[in-house]
Amino acid sequence: MTRIFVRVLFGLLLLASCQAFVAAQQPTSAPIKIGAVLSLTGPGAGLGGPERNGILLAEKRINERGGVRGRPLQILIEDDGSKPDIAKSKAEALIHGEKVVALLGPSLTASTGAVATVTNSLQMPELCMTGLGPAIESSYKSLFHMLPPQTLNARAMLEYIAKGLKAKKLGVLHDSGYGQLVLTNIQNLNKEYGVEIVAAEKFEVGATDVSTQAAKVRAAEPDVVGVIATSPVPFRNARQVRIVQPIVSAVGSSSYEYVKGMGEFADDITFAEFIVAEDPLPHQKEFVDYFHKEKGTLPKTYDAAGWDATHVLAQALEKAGPDAGGEAIAAAIRANRYRGVVAQYNFAAADMTGIELDSYTYSKLVKGQYTRLPFKAGK
Amino acid sequence: MSVSLLLQSVLSGLTNGFVYGLVGLGLAAIFRGTRIINAMQGDFALLGGITAALLLERLGWPMALAFACAVAVGGIAGWLMELLLIRPLRRRGGSEDSYLLLTLGVAFAVSAFVLYAVGRDSHSLPGLGGEGIVVIGDASIRTHAVWLIAISLATMAGLRLFFAKTALGLSMLAAALDAEGALTTGINVPLMRTLTFALGGLVGGLAGILVGPLVTVYFDMGLLLTLKGFAAAILGGLANPMGAIAGGVTLGLLESLAIVTVSSGYKDVIAMVILIVIMIVMPNGLLGRRLRKGG
Repeated sequence: MTRIFVRVLFGLLLLASCQAFVAAQQPTSAPIKIGAVLSLTGPGAGLGGPERNGILLAEKRINERGGVRGRPLQILIEDDGSKPDIAKSKAEALIHGEKVVALLGPSLTASTGAVATVTNSLQMPELCMTGLGPAIESSYKSLFHMLPPQTLNARAMLEYIAKGLKAKKLGVLHDSGYGQLVLTNIQNLNKEYGVEIVAAEKFEVGATDVSTQAAKVRAAEPDVVGVIATSPVPFRNARQVRIVQPIVSAVGSSSYEYVKGMGEFADDITFAEFIVAEDPLPHQKEFVDYFHKEKGTLPKTYDAAGWDATHVLAQALEKAGPDAGGEAIAAAIRANRYRGVVAQYNFAAADMTGIELDSYTYSKLVKGQYTRLPFKAGK
Repeated sequence: MSVSLLLQSVLSGLTNGFVYGLVGLGLAAIFRGTRIINAMQGDFALLGGITAALLLERLGWPMALAFACAVAVGGIAGWLMELLLIRPLRRRGGSEDSYLLLTLGVAFAVSAFVLYAVGRDSHSLPGLGGEGIVVIGDASIRTHAVWLIAISLATMAGLRLFFAKTALGLSMLAAALDAEGALTTGINVPLMRTLTFALGGLVGGLAGILVGPLVTVYFDMGLLLTLKGFAAAILGGLANPMGAIAGGVTLGLLESLAIVTVSSGYKDVIAMVILIVIMIVMPNGLLGRRLRKGG
């Protein structure tokens, strides 16, 4: 009888200690509030939606693993409608109303600039999902970029065009938003790579048919065609007017949604991007597997940027302490050499992101499927 | 400029022009029957397009059935719009401005509803004729675009006949031009107005399934379509469905020819300057005057 009693007591003690261990792994204290201002509607929705996916997934994963210093993260997400003025007012509401300790986002360069004027004056850390924008951003001490500047995106495309394809004549078909930004940077760099731009044709975002522009590019007889847009239409039209040259595109155009919209024309298109989820690099595998398990789909760069931003912030909060204040948290972010899913970051770099060309991955659409290319930029 | 480039620009201009014209056609039909400028015409197209996409993707319906249902959803949306929102506003003596504001507000609401209910993903629709292209000389046009042009022309002709030859069409016109006069002749004016909106919704739903395969269907595509359709309808003569198509094609061709003759960067500037000149010379639109003489 005594033996049974001892065994039961031992069992109960073991159970209690297990519960205590599990409880220790679960965040128990008040949540750490983090604000996020993203473009969930409007022209930037194609970016903000995936970024939100990555942020929410990272929040879940971090909290599953015990949160930050035993406290869970609580990320409050607001939609700026792709408008800078709304982004600024939403950021102010999160900072002053919700008392968040840091901000994630915005998704667009103009909105980043608007929000940064607020976060800079308060020295509040802001991890935006854009590349370096206007020159004034370089003077901000609490702003960090999760994506490369457009000049690096342009350079990554030219690397492949000049070194991978050995092409000399480039024709460009681009939209008036994202495409125009990348093209402007290509025009600043093309001579350095010995590439001549023989045609550059523009169309408005949301255009229904750009065959005329595509035909003009074709008539210029380029060796390679750059299509830079946030829509599948120009890719389809380029092939429909029988542009048979290889097409090279930028990270912002790489999306499963666009591939679906390209239909049978999603072939022989190369993207200078950061993640090929069908064939992830070792440091990307955990994220890709977790994303696939939770969402049932595969992630792309903007999903990964949201994931990385949340993890960078969580690490800084862990190091500096959630209540250390904006300046100390920003200093911890600056000191972190984070190996992210998107890239190797160095937030102390002049462009506040430190992404190098060797972080780019080149993928090629082959009959609608992304495949990784062996080409490496910067070599 | 080579002949093939010119031909390609004409084909591309026709494709875009008929897209603008088809949306303008619905706007013109509603204006003709109710004297209301419907700022949510593009959102009828959104409702039609998204319905077709969901029926095809999620329920695996046959294409013809899904497309027919999508057009019907556009019509039902138009019907409900008039019954639930326009009619109460009219009862309270709403002005032209208030109708415009109401339809604009509903456009945003529809977009938000689609965003909430379906999400922000874009949806592809299969084209009539698949991904095939028709090659003319050294230029090409998508088979679906040829269908779009043919169906738009047929719809325009059908509407013209409907308003000119059928008792129902004439009753709708009478209700719009002189409501009290129409009432005295026994025409059910409120019903005519509801039917007019339903008709505009049907044309909008049709636009949705025809435009969807060219672009993709997404929650905030409506307003962009409305703006181009509005320009087409104004250019052609707002009260004339035939004018909307003429206006759309003119706009599409102007844009396209501006690209090949000058530069794609100045396309909109050139097209809009020419439009302004046309509107100064012909203030009632390309086909507006003829309608007035007849009316």
